[in-house]
Amino acid sequence: MNGYVEAGYVVVLGTLGTYGVTLVARERSARRRVGAGSNKARNAAGAGTSARAGTSVPQGDASAREHRAVEEEGPGSAPRAMSP
Amino acid sequence: MLRDAVLVAGKDLRIEVRSRVGLNQIGPFAIAVLLLFGLALGPDRQVLAPASAGLFWVAVLLSTILAVQRSYAIESADAARDGLRLSGLDPAGIFLGKASAVAAQLLVLEAALTIGVALLYGARLSGALVLVGACVAGTLGLAAVGTLYGVVASGLRVRETLLPLLFLPVVAPVLLAATKAWDEALAGTPGRAGGWLDVLVVFAVLYVAIGIVAFGPLLEDG
Amino acid sequence: MSTPPRAVQSGRAAVAVALRVLGVTALVGVAATVWLGLFVTPPDEFMGNLVRLLYVHPPMAWVAFLAYGVASLASLLYLWPRTRAERFDRLAGASAEVGVVFTGLTLVSGSIWGRPTWGAWWVWDPLLTTTALLFVLYLGYLALRRVPGELHVRARRSAIAALIAFIDVPIVYLSVEWWRSLHQAPTVLNPTTQKTYVHGSMAWTLLLGFVSFTLVYIWLTAHRYRLAELQDLEDTEGLDVALAERRAEAVAG
Repeated sequence: MNGYVEAGYVVVLGTLGTYGVTLVARERSARRRVGAGSNKARNAAGAGTSARAGTSVPQGDASAREHRAVEEEGPGSAPRAMSP
Repeated sequence: MLRDAVLVAGKDLRIEVRSRVGLNQIGPFAIAVLLLFGLALGPDRQVLAPASAGLFWVAVLLSTILAVQRSYAIESADAARDGLRLSGLDPAGIFLGKASAVAAQLLVLEAALTIGVALLYGARLSGALVLVGACVAGTLGLAAVGTLYGVVASGLRVRETLLPLLFLPVVAPVLLAATKAWDEALAGTPGRAGGWLDVLVVFAVLYVAIGIVAFGPLLEDG
Repeated sequence: MSTPPRAVQSGRAAVAVALRVLGVTALVGVAATVWLGLFVTPPDEFMGNLVRLLYVHPPMAWVAFLAYGVASLASLLYLWPRTRAERFDRLAGASAEVGVVFTGLTLVSGSIWGRPTWGAWWVWDPLLTTTALLFVLYLGYLALRRVPGELHVRARRSAIAALIAFIDVPIVYLSVEWWRSLHQAPTVLNPTTQKTYVHGSMAWTLLLGFVSFTLVYIWLTAHRYRLAELQDLEDTEGLDVALAERRAEAVAG
C-alpha cells in the first residue's frame, strides 16, 4: 500500500485514539478528586461540629451536592446585564 | 457617545504628542521591520519591489499590535480597566475614541512607511487614490479589532503574548485585501482594486459595529 | 439533606449508557470505514491508492467546521440573556478543544494527501488556508479560556472573543477564494473538491466516514464537556473545603 496512505490513516487514528484515551483518563482522575474533595469538606465540617456542642453546621450530603451542582442550570452568580 | 469618543481620542492623542512614544518607538520599529524584510529577501529589487505591498501591510499589522498595547498602557498601569470603567464615559464612546486614536497614529505611520517602501524596495508609487483608500479602510478595521482584543487582554498578565495571537488571525482578510489593492495600484491597474476595497470597507464597518456593541461588556469583566 | 430524586439519578444513568452506546457505534463505524477504505474499495483510475485518503481528510474538515459552528452557537446562546447557562460556556470550550484536534488533523491529512498529488506539502487552497487560520483562531480562543478568573467572567469574555473570531471565518474563506482564483490556471482542478468518485463502494465508504467521525466528535465533545463539569465542581468544592476548614478553625479556636 502507498506509504502516504498508511501514514495518513495512522496519524488520524492514532491522534484521535490518544486524545480519546487521555480524555477518559483525565475525566476519571477528576472524578476521583471531586469525590475526595467532598469528603474533605464533610470531615472538616464534622471537626467543627464535634468541637462545638449542640448546633450542627448544615453541610449537605456530598453526593446530593454534586448532583445539585451538576444539574443546576443558569450561571453560578447573577448574570451581569449588558451595558447600554 | 460621539462626544465621549472625541474626548477619549483627544486625550490619547494629546498623550502621544506629549510623550512621543509612537514617534520614538513604534515608528522606528516599523522601519526596522522594513529593513529586516529587506535583509531577509535579498538586495535584488526584482524580488523586493513586487513584494512591497505585502511587506508594507505586514509591517502595518505588527505596528498595530504595538499601538494597541500602548493605547491601553497609557491608562493607569494595571488599573487600566478600572479607570476607564469608573470614568462614567459611554463604553461605545471609549471604544470609538481609542480606536480612532490608534487609527490616526497608524495613518501617520503608514505615510512614513509608504516613503520607506518606495525608497528601500524601489516600489513605484501610483494609483494614489487606491493606496490612500486602502490605507484608510484597512486601518479602521485593524484599529477596531485591535482595540477590541486590546481590552480583552489589557487586564491580564499574559496580555503581551495573548493580544498578537488573538489579533493577527482575525485581521488576515485585511492583510489579504489591502495587499491585493495595493498590488493593483502599484502595478498601474488601480481599477481592478475595487473589489478588494469593498472587502476592506465591509470588514471595517463590521468590526466597528461589533466594537460598539461588545466593548461595554468586555470592559465590565475582570 | 435528601438524596437526589430518582428522576435525576436515572437520567444521569441513561446519559452514561447513551454515551457508551455512542462510543461503541463510533468505534465500529470508524473501523468499518478504515477496513472499507483501505481494503475493500478499488483504487481510483487517476489517483490510484491515494484516493483512500479522501475517505478520511474530508470528514476531518467537516468536523473541524462543525465543531467551530457548535462553539460559535454555544457562545451566542451563552451571551443571549434568555438562554444564558453555564452549560453553553462549557459546551463551547469542549467543542473548541475537540475542534482544534480535528482541525490539526485536517491540515496534516491534507498535507499528506497533497505531497504525492501535487508534489508539495502545502498549497494555498482556499479551504486548506481557511482551515489553517481556523486552527490558529481556535488556539487563541483556547488560550483565552485558560486565563484564570471567575467562572462567568471568563465565560462571557470567551464567548465574546469567540464570536469576534468566528464571524471572521466566512470573510477569510471568501477573501482567500477570490485571492486564489486570480492565480489559478483553469486546468488545475481544485484539489479538495475533486469529483472523481465512482458511485458505489467509494461513495458509501465516504458517507460512512462522515457519519462515523461525526459520532466520534460527539462522543469526544461529550466527555470533554463532562470533564469541564468535574473541573468546575472541583473548583467550587475546593472553595467549600476552605470554607468548612475555616469554620472549623473558628469554632475550635
